[in-house]
Amino acid sequence: MKVLSPARVAFSLAMLGSLLALALLLAVVSGASALPLSEVWRALIGDDATPAAADIVLRVRLPRALLGMAVGASLAVAGVLFQALLRNPLADPFVLGVSGGAALGGILVLALGSSFGLGYAAVPPAAFAGATLTTLLLYAVAGVRGHVSSTHLLLTGVVFNAFASAAIVFLASISGLTESSNIFLWLIGSLSAIRAEVTGWVVFFLVAGLACALPMARGLNLLALGEESAQQLGIDVERQKRLLLLATSFMVGAAVSVAGLIGFVGLIIPHLLRLVLGPDHRLLVPAAALGGAVFLVVCDTAARTLPGGRELPVGAITAVAGGPLFLWLLRRQQRRVFAP
Amino acid sequence: MLAVFLILAVVASAAAEEPERLRIVSLNPSLTEILLSLDAADTLVGVDDYSARQQPSVAELPRVGGLFSPNLEAIVALEPDAVVVVPAAQQRDLGERLEQLGIRVVSLPNHRLEEVLTSITELGALVDRDQAAAARVAVIRRAVAESRSATAEAPHPRVVMVIQRDPLYVVGGGSYLHELLDVAGARNIAAGFSEAYPRVGLEWLLAAAPDVILDASPDAAQAEAYWSRWPSLPAVRANRIVVLSASAWRPGPFLEQSLQLLADALRPTELRVAP
Repeated sequence: MKVLSPARVAFSLAMLGSLLALALLLAVVSGASALPLSEVWRALIGDDATPAAADIVLRVRLPRALLGMAVGASLAVAGVLFQALLRNPLADPFVLGVSGGAALGGILVLALGSSFGLGYAAVPPAAFAGATLTTLLLYAVAGVRGHVSSTHLLLTGVVFNAFASAAIVFLASISGLTESSNIFLWLIGSLSAIRAEVTGWVVFFLVAGLACALPMARGLNLLALGEESAQQLGIDVERQKRLLLLATSFMVGAAVSVAGLIGFVGLIIPHLLRLVLGPDHRLLVPAAALGGAVFLVVCDTAARTLPGGRELPVGAITAVAGGPLFLWLLRRQQRRVFAP
Repeated sequence: MLAVFLILAVVASAAAEEPERLRIVSLNPSLTEILLSLDAADTLVGVDDYSARQQPSVAELPRVGGLFSPNLEAIVALEPDAVVVVPAAQQRDLGERLEQLGIRVVSLPNHRLEEVLTSITELGALVDRDQAAAARVAVIRRAVAESRSATAEAPHPRVVMVIQRDPLYVVGGGSYLHELLDVAGARNIAAGFSEAYPRVGLEWLLAAAPDVILDASPDAAQAEAYWSRWPSLPAVRANRIVVLSASAWRPGPFLEQSLQLLADALRPTELRVAP
């Protein structure tokens, strides 16, 4: 295994940072409307661009890229943390049912909200409330006398997710045509609802999650040896797990509540980075933030740059790009393990 | 022996009934509306949930489920002579299964203007109200012809009709609404999309710069606040956002009214007095 030196951390993060800068540049210069580069530049420096060009660059492309960065980073970091905490390589941000809870909260409002005078604006808060309630429920069900077993957490999460999808199908079947198509769209996940104020929330929970996770990165490395060993090596496993699971759930809840369910980011980015950078969480956690941001910004740029002005939900792109990539990674890992 | 008696009893009771009345189950609100407009309410014996929601006069009829969940048993139990449907992937093989059970299925697509007119004619033939149907179709055709000639010389504003804002869905070239817009003298900027209701990006809309935005999305109350955020749109600057109620885009029997609504919405607002 490669040794983690400060120089290697700095180099890896600088590389990912440059990739992110490139992705941001790509996002700002490309779009459905084929603005000339000169016009994009004039809009960026505030020099006499046409109002439409200024709106397109500064109020459509840029905020959407920023939201994509925040959501992608949140999902990828959550993936790394869940995989470490649950010691399960298949864990992704949605595995604990947090996404199901968020979806259920949001969709309750989409399906029934109009009868209570709640509009589309009430969906993100409801989704976030759903995520929070699910987290609390998970602890109540899976925790026994202050101890939270990973297996119980996983099982509870999987069952809750199944319950949530069934409830969503039920709500979609009893609601009207527009409501049910809204539900369907929300489930695929998209960044098209660009409002600057929601990005702030996602960033807030991302920063809080990173602030919790980075100091504990060494503990996460030890957790890979098993909970007992980590305990013996002086890690307060229960406290760490509780705190990190909570922080991660909030992070996922915030991301899902503004963007819906965007799959594969939280599964594929951690695995890809682990393959390239090694399993040390001191590097893996910040690298996942940058890598997730790059991946989602690039996918979303593709989603809104189709010829003719058509738009795809970004969740469709991440799944189409992520599925095969994940299988390829898996093959590679297997070869490596079983190589003579 | 008992079976024979039972069959005889059923046959006898059927024969004793009043003059034969067609029994129809409608699985689509627009088709229900067409039947009602042809004065054929007495033929309806069951409707889908959406019909019941939109048409108070059939709200009391037995329901047979929603778009995603039509209930085969509930339909069969009503012993219909015919089930009228708009072909939709969501209903899977419902039509086939009904036909296997010996129930006539009348399948009427309604994306294009001509298809809606055909639906009216066919339903008229089904319930023996051909004349009423022909009259209805004639009213719509006349309104179309008049509108076309009235707007031929007038300027053709570049228009987009939004049916949902978030995410953004508009009326594309494949919809009867596109045809009505065209008839009403508008140039639909989304005509290039072949499907009926394409999903588009906000960037496309900003770059296409429509003169008029017809907003028929479900939450009408939010329309003004939403569009006022994009003052670079010519339609916003010129204050030409028109909020339409959802009923304006039902492919039903009163398309001339939808056309009238569109024509009113498109009329230039030069007479507006500045505050």
